[in-house]
Amino acid sequence: MNNTIVSYLSQFEGHQKFLAVASEFLGFDVTALVGFVIFFTACFILVNVAAAIGGLGTYAERKISADIQMRQGPNRVGPYGLLQFLADGVKMILKEDVVPAQADKFLFNIAPLLALSGVFATLAVLPLSSGFILTDLNIGIFYLLGVGSVVGVAIFVGGYASNSKWSLLGGMRGASQIISYEVPVTMSIISIVLLSGGMSLVTVTESQGGLPHQWFILHNPFTFIGFFVMFIGTLAEANRAPFDLPEAESELVSGYHTEYTGMKFAFFALAEYAEVFVLCGIVSALYLGGYKVPMDLGNGVFFVENLGLPAVIGKNIGQLLQLGAFFTKTFLLYYVVIWIRWTLPRMRVDDLMTLCWKYLTPISLFNLIGCAIWVYFFENQSMWSVIFKAGAAGAGHH
Amino acid sequence: MSSTNLDVFMPVIILIALAIIMFVGAIGVVGKLLRPHKPTPLKETPYECGEAPVGSAWSNFNVRFYVVSLIFIIFDVEGALMFPVAAVFKDFVAIGAGGVVLGSLLLFILILASGLVYCWKKGDLDWVKSFQLSEDQLKKLNEVEAR
Amino acid sequence: MFENILFFISSFLVLGGATMVVLSKNLMHACIFLLFTLFGVAGLYLTLGADFLAAAQLVVYAGGVVILMLFGIMLTGGTENKENRFGIEKIPGMGSVKTYIVAGVSILFIATVVLKIIANYMRHYQQTDLPEYMTTVERIGHSLLTDHILAFEISSILLLGALIGAAMIARPRKS
Repeated sequence: MNNTIVSYLSQFEGHQKFLAVASEFLGFDVTALVGFVIFFTACFILVNVAAAIGGLGTYAERKISADIQMRQGPNRVGPYGLLQFLADGVKMILKEDVVPAQADKFLFNIAPLLALSGVFATLAVLPLSSGFILTDLNIGIFYLLGVGSVVGVAIFVGGYASNSKWSLLGGMRGASQIISYEVPVTMSIISIVLLSGGMSLVTVTESQGGLPHQWFILHNPFTFIGFFVMFIGTLAEANRAPFDLPEAESELVSGYHTEYTGMKFAFFALAEYAEVFVLCGIVSALYLGGYKVPMDLGNGVFFVENLGLPAVIGKNIGQLLQLGAFFTKTFLLYYVVIWIRWTLPRMRVDDLMTLCWKYLTPISLFNLIGCAIWVYFFENQSMWSVIFKAGAAGAGHH
Repeated sequence: MSSTNLDVFMPVIILIALAIIMFVGAIGVVGKLLRPHKPTPLKETPYECGEAPVGSAWSNFNVRFYVVSLIFIIFDVEGALMFPVAAVFKDFVAIGAGGVVLGSLLLFILILASGLVYCWKKGDLDWVKSFQLSEDQLKKLNEVEAR
Repeated sequence: MFENILFFISSFLVLGGATMVVLSKNLMHACIFLLFTLFGVAGLYLTLGADFLAAAQLVVYAGGVVILMLFGIMLTGGTENKENRFGIEKIPGMGSVKTYIVAGVSILFIATVVLKIIANYMRHYQQTDLPEYMTTVERIGHSLLTDHILAFEISSILLLGALIGAAMIARPRKS
């Protein structure tokens, strides 16, 4: 329980040797210091990866939308325009920082920071692989819900502080939309917690298998519906189309970040794109088997036994495969999110609330009850094994 | 080997610290050196598509946002109570006490679902509120219109 | 080491946030400082080893109650006027000399009583190592389903009452 990247690395011999040597050299026990350095390095790498994914997300958004609308998209900076986001970043940092004269200066400055730190804090429990997870908290998914809800406050505060009518409307809509869709999302998550028997994201992922029929999405009919409820809910929580009412450009100019310029706007955008990545990762961990690789290649035993590699290398190859599986699933979901944005029209605000409270919430409650009954009656087998056993029993009668 | 004590929460603090460093570094230090600063009164007015803004944006807001957040908090607390129960549900099924636990869980969910049904029935979940006038009020309205 | 750092950060957030909530003249600012205070309280729960409670604090208070308060403030139209209804622009020193004297005496009284009680424990308290960090989720779940199952069910009725009450109060009256 409570695996971290430090406890993963400390199982290798080299780590212990290094600790012993360093302790002897420096004259005190360096375990805590090394732990901090590892954590800091891992956090630093992950934050940069998340920022790069956020930046590449804007690039992917433009490129895919161009593809859908039969345009070229960005293609000047770097190969295929890949470095466009860096150029955008440089431009953003050179822009003047305009603060409206009537704005609430303190809240105006602190809102992007709230959004950014809320999203970054959710990265801590993102299950990249069984070893390369920053920290596998026992309260993982619940912690994620709590920290993620700060983004809603940030959007509201950003909209309020601008003292512009568009911003305020966008902020109010954003906050009420985020909290409303948190209800069906929470219910769907609870039904997954019921099936896996734990809230840590590694526990949830480990109770699934590598192949699609072992994933929770195909575990029973209720989770199959639950996946779509959860996915729609995450779209709405990340303010993505067709639920991008807080920044509906046709009616609210740009919504809650109308008055933001330069880097403050960039941080709002970065927080949004990174949040989409985190939420896609969570959906894939909960329903699509997360980092699980088919045929248990992920634990590295195969490479050690059949290919004769040393245990350290075999284990790390397994981890890299898991990393690959996680990112493949997450980016596929990310693609679907962008695809949906450029396909579906925006919803009206009353339809949005109706969809949440009158459709998704009752459906997710129904799913929760269904999952509880399923766990009780079929002792947590997936529907395939239930059908298979029923078929075998039926064949036995003849 | 599992980490002892609270070290597992260290990344949370580090990540938030990194967010603050990134924000302050990009806006307060690097950006401050690079970006121009030439404020004009026109630049600092809120953008309203070319119109001069009238008054402040901070005005009384509709009560329905408040209702939504009230209902949300109830379901939030319900979720918080149900998470630990859901996490141990499998253990109880494994030792054969699943029936009782399932019953109590279903009771818990159904009581709250009845609250949702009540709100639905009374029209609190409607975003656009429609008012059904009573017969007396309709009669009065007709009289007023007839005059 | 990290426990101490976490404790200092959390207590700084709690005390600083709470002080600013009291001193801030702007309701919205006060609400955001309250958010910091709630985060600090969650951190304090963590230092005590109550990880689930800390996360519940974040989910319910930081995510729900703060937004509810922000919406509640917006019902009154934000905070344009930073003066109270008497037209005084600062925080008025409320009460008279009499109230201050009563307050001081009662603070002294309570402090004496509390310290007398706590002092007994303090004398016998010995610094020991913190227990090994373990999760509280399973323990909470087990006790909610065994010893405290009645409380668990009654809490749902309490929530139902709160839901109906909230809906009733916020409903526009037909007249």
